Amino acid sequence: MKQILMGNDAIALGLIHAGVDMISGYPGTPSSEILGNFQKYNTKFKLNAYAQWATNEKVGFEVAYAGAISGKRTCATMKQVGLNVASDALMSASYLGLKGAMLLVSCDDPGFYSSQTEQDSRSFAKFARIPVLDPATPQEAYDMVKLGLNISHLFESVVMLRPVMRVSHAREICEVDDALHVEAAIGHFERNIPRWAAVPPAGRFRQGREQLERIEYIKEWNWINLIEPKIKSLYKNNILCLTSGTGDGYVRETLDELHLDADVLKLDMPYPLPKEKIENLFATYDKVIIFEESYPCIEEQLSSPKLYGKLTKHAHEIDEFSKDKVVDTFVKVGVIEPRNTYKNEKYTEELPKRPPNMCPGCPHRDVHYAITKVFKKKTSIYASDIGCYTLGLNQGAIDILLCMGGSIALASGFSISDPDKAVVATIGDSTFTHSGVAPLINAVSQNHKFVLVILDNSTTAMTGRQTTPERTNPAQVDIKRIVEGCGIECFEYVYEQDLNKTVNFIKSLKKVYETANAPVVAVVREFCVLDKELVEGRLGNAIVSVDEEKCVACDSCITTYKCPPMHYNDAGKMEIDPFLCAGCSSCLDVVCPTDAFIKK
Amino acid sequence: MKYQIVIAGIGGQGAVFLVKVLSIASALANQKCLGTENHGMSQRGGSVSCYVKIGDFYAPAIDEGQADLLIALEANEALRNIQYLKTREGTIIVNATKEFPKLAYTTFTIDAFSKAKAKEFPIEALNVYMLGTCIAQDTHFPFSLTQIEQAITQMNPKVAEKNIAVLHLGVNDSRSHV
Repeated sequence: MKQILMGNDAIALGLIHAGVDMISGYPGTPSSEILGNFQKYNTKFKLNAYAQWATNEKVGFEVAYAGAISGKRTCATMKQVGLNVASDALMSASYLGLKGAMLLVSCDDPGFYSSQTEQDSRSFAKFARIPVLDPATPQEAYDMVKLGLNISHLFESVVMLRPVMRVSHAREICEVDDALHVEAAIGHFERNIPRWAAVPPAGRFRQGREQLERIEYIKEWNWINLIEPKIKSLYKNNILCLTSGTGDGYVRETLDELHLDADVLKLDMPYPLPKEKIENLFATYDKVIIFEESYPCIEEQLSSPKLYGKLTKHAHEIDEFSKDKVVDTFVKVGVIEPRNTYKNEKYTEELPKRPPNMCPGCPHRDVHYAITKVFKKKTSIYASDIGCYTLGLNQGAIDILLCMGGSIALASGFSISDPDKAVVATIGDSTFTHSGVAPLINAVSQNHKFVLVILDNSTTAMTGRQTTPERTNPAQVDIKRIVEGCGIECFEYVYEQDLNKTVNFIKSLKKVYETANAPVVAVVREFCVLDKELVEGRLGNAIVSVDEEKCVACDSCITTYKCPPMHYNDAGKMEIDPFLCAGCSSCLDVVCPTDAFIKK
Repeated sequence: MKYQIVIAGIGGQGAVFLVKVLSIASALANQKCLGTENHGMSQRGGSVSCYVKIGDFYAPAIDEGQADLLIALEANEALRNIQYLKTREGTIIVNATKEFPKLAYTTFTIDAFSKAKAKEFPIEALNVYMLGTCIAQDTHFPFSLTQIEQAITQMNPKVAEKNIAVLHLGVNDSRSHV
């Protein structure tokens, strides 16, 4: 039947139709809706599958992988930087293999829309020596989920599906199966110590050999099943375009719209490639151009003087695809003359920038504000982490960001390398359980002196409010007790919409910090303003306006507090946009040096 | 038929909702459709631009100089995205005051913020209001009022009635506006 599906929804449906009954992962844009949608189907149609968020990507991968060892059809989902976290498990899983089937979905983000790197998961698959499928559209993503799981079972290997953001968040009318039914199978772990517990050197050496042989078989399979059926349509022109994923769409549209003649061969499985067989296709062509994003994964597997791509500096090396970039490549390779088809004039006058910001009423804003008020900029280093609170950047409340859980060990490092400054680290609850515990144990055991504030809103807010371990199971998992378990006191502040109280709490931490010789750790119990369950009754209680007589347009509120409703009106006075104001009342005290914010 | 639409706005204004409605409308009109949305970081009040490509397309994004229509839920977000319009041929439907600059495109402005402030419709329905404006003002708009109504109903039957009322308000306001 036909259904309008977003790419990630198509993937979720594909997993169900491929018989996957065990899925885990960690949220991250653009991958989050895959597991989220799977859970919705699971509940709605009582599918009886295991579909749970893990504490991090490595945990999610390992849970799903054990299922596949036991003969089940499983899946792990994550974003490309999450794959870095799961990579330790993946590298070894590629040696051990599996019995059932396992699809690893790693979503890439060319163009850095919501990610700190533009790394190419296809190249990671190549590094791990597992096959990877690269869909161009939601329909293809759906089809490739089924294909990938079949290949996984056939070759007893983890298979990667690599959708980019423009596939995960594309929407298309897709042809999908009707049935929504999963027989949750019972797996059987069969003891096989030489395989599942292979030890170096002999055991792993043997598996390394098998891994190499397996990749050779998959190359041949790739040729017979995915490439050879397409070569009938070739040999019509002098130029051959090798494409992968979304690159294919951009190339085809460009050729159509510019009425250019070139053959296109789309490589559905960009790794592993049957090198010699593909290179043999080049004989009748003058030039072969590779269109792929974001790394030269295909290009690195082939060699020919006819090849043009990223390595030869003919194709773009950074940022997402566009038809203009396809034209650029054709021009550089000498296929066409320069043209401006895909260029148009931008608006020439300067427009106010609109960076993402924390929601009005968000407790993170108050905590960041209090930290910068109490720990002065000149004598402090603010280390932060990955989540909504990263947007504290807008308040000048963050000096460094690295990766998930990075803030705590960075704080350790700065406390050693620049001991005259106070280091204040901020991390969210989900990021803390993801990868903050190990660096905290490290800091406690080595007596590193810094302040750590754990911003606990009890949800994974940035990626769409996925459930956290604490939320699922508050009786067992509690951040305060985790911190105490690391061997240190945990100060606690239950957030109130009264900035005086928040500032006073941070002041109390500073006092402890001054005589401390170990990390000073606090948890702030917050809520997410989008979280209906926890936000109940907290917002809309005050309508704030500005006493124009008192406002001296000092910029203080819009630089250090930076709440979206605050803006200057035509008279040059601060004004609160009533559409945006959440009515939290936090700004009524402290924020304005002249007390211009008043309750209406 | 080939018709390309850029939807620009601020995170939280419901640009993604419009992508969904337009893709359902395409299915109802038996047209192929490829759309793309912003999620995650850009949802937090930042600039948002979504694309809808109706007809035979293979790539989800829209290049500069290609869009037939720019639906802008806010004035500056319209200006930030004008390069995506077809040179001279493109149409802008924008929530803006009369002070919106004169550009080399067919432009229709309507001050939807003022209307929402005057409580003529809830601010959350501004996206649907602007869609009504498109139906009335974009002479090449590929869907009929009935098709959009059906699409809105199909998307969420519970709130369809309220949304359709705002849609009609958008259609009528912009017609009487001329």
